[in-house]
Amino acid sequence: MSGRSGSSSLRQIIAAGLTLGAIHQTAPWPAVQAVFHALLVIGLAPEFRSPLMGALWAAAGGWVVEGTLRMYPHMGGTPFADMVVCLLVSWTLVQWPPRAPKAYWGRLGAFAVLHILLAHGMVLIAAGSHYWGYGSLWTLLTVPLWAALSYKLYLPHYRE
Amino acid sequence: MRQRPWGWNPTGRRRWAITALLLGHLAWILMGRGDSNRWQWLLGVLSTPAQVVSEKWISWRQEGAEKVQNLARAEAELRQLRFQVDSLQKEAAQNASKVQEAEEAGKLLGLKQQLPLELKTARIIANVRKAPFGGMVIDRGKDLNLVPDQGIICPEGVVGRIWAVASHQASVLPLDAYNASTAVMLGRSRATGVLQGVGPGRAEIRYIGSQEMVQINEAVFTSGLDGVFPRGLLVGYVTAVHPQDVELRVEVTLVAPLDRLDLVLILPPRPEIQLQPPSTPPTPASKAQSQEPK
Repeated sequence: MSGRSGSSSLRQIIAAGLTLGAIHQTAPWPAVQAVFHALLVIGLAPEFRSPLMGALWAAAGGWVVEGTLRMYPHMGGTPFADMVVCLLVSWTLVQWPPRAPKAYWGRLGAFAVLHILLAHGMVLIAAGSHYWGYGSLWTLLTVPLWAALSYKLYLPHYRE
Repeated sequence: MRQRPWGWNPTGRRRWAITALLLGHLAWILMGRGDSNRWQWLLGVLSTPAQVVSEKWISWRQEGAEKVQNLARAEAELRQLRFQVDSLQKEAAQNASKVQEAEEAGKLLGLKQQLPLELKTARIIANVRKAPFGGMVIDRGKDLNLVPDQGIICPEGVVGRIWAVASHQASVLPLDAYNASTAVMLGRSRATGVLQGVGPGRAEIRYIGSQEMVQINEAVFTSGLDGVFPRGLLVGYVTAVHPQDVELRVEVTLVAPLDRLDLVLILPPRPEIQLQPPSTPPTPASKAQSQEPK
């Protein structure tokens, strides 16, 4: 984490903002919303040079999802899981910078599974048992899509 | 020099912030479990200052709105009252003549009750006293069995006498006419004389000896010697006394408002009742109460 410093690029902020807006706007379609959610939390937020900034973007994504689900007051599980996964991905990116796209996809897919499990676990703690839906399935099926987009959008300095 | 990872430096502050974020979310998750009363209580406590401020703000707004409403209501009421005042003023102006006539009628009625005579009422329909050989015309004549030389009075005092009678009208010779003569007496000295008109609202008493003591503002009453008026009706007040050879020329201001008369009372022909003048002569200031027959 400490290996990265400096401000985030405008392109990163715009991409994260657009994805956050997409999460909000795709609330009527939970499957699409889950894909955008995974893109923001696993694909975009960890690439911020500041881990705190990445965690805040990831938490914002989680709060938007729970806000659209109107889970008040049983909230906080999704943003907590988002922050934890985002920090983990960010840490792995520093420790083991990606060398090939497919390995990167696999890594993000693994973190997507972890994110799904952690999010459901935390939501189970916060709000009790709930319906899983097919958003997780669509997230895993579209890993090549949003992981490739994440790989294309950013070319961190440590990958060069 | 290597920075301490959890010290007060940019890296440490970032780590503390991330830790606070995670712990805050964990607290949120744990407090949100199950029953939501804890959140409700916590939010209620946290929102107490905002609620107090908002209550004061709302009450202040309500008071302001109430003041505005009261002001608008008061303005509307004021407009309505002004409209009512205008209407009443117009109505009063329209009824002023009627009110004045009613007042005159009331005075006439009072005078009628005071005088033990059979009085008749008439209305002045023409008043040309100031014209040469002018006089006044009343709306009653032979239809009311009027005859010449019947006395005419009003609540303030003596007006004059009937001069000529027609079928439905009669002309009146006022006291201030140059050819009018009325038997009068002074209120204090009881000296008698003849009142003759000298101009609008003025007359002179003739045939009062120069040895008589006549005072300014002394009341002048009818003496009843002419057979037209009973004794004791107020005629006017002495305004000036001029000694001449063997008699006094006494100027009198008449009390009857001859210029603005409307209703008058007509005395019966040759009244027999002798009214005594009041023991205490009235003053000009108490002209309204000057008619006190005994």
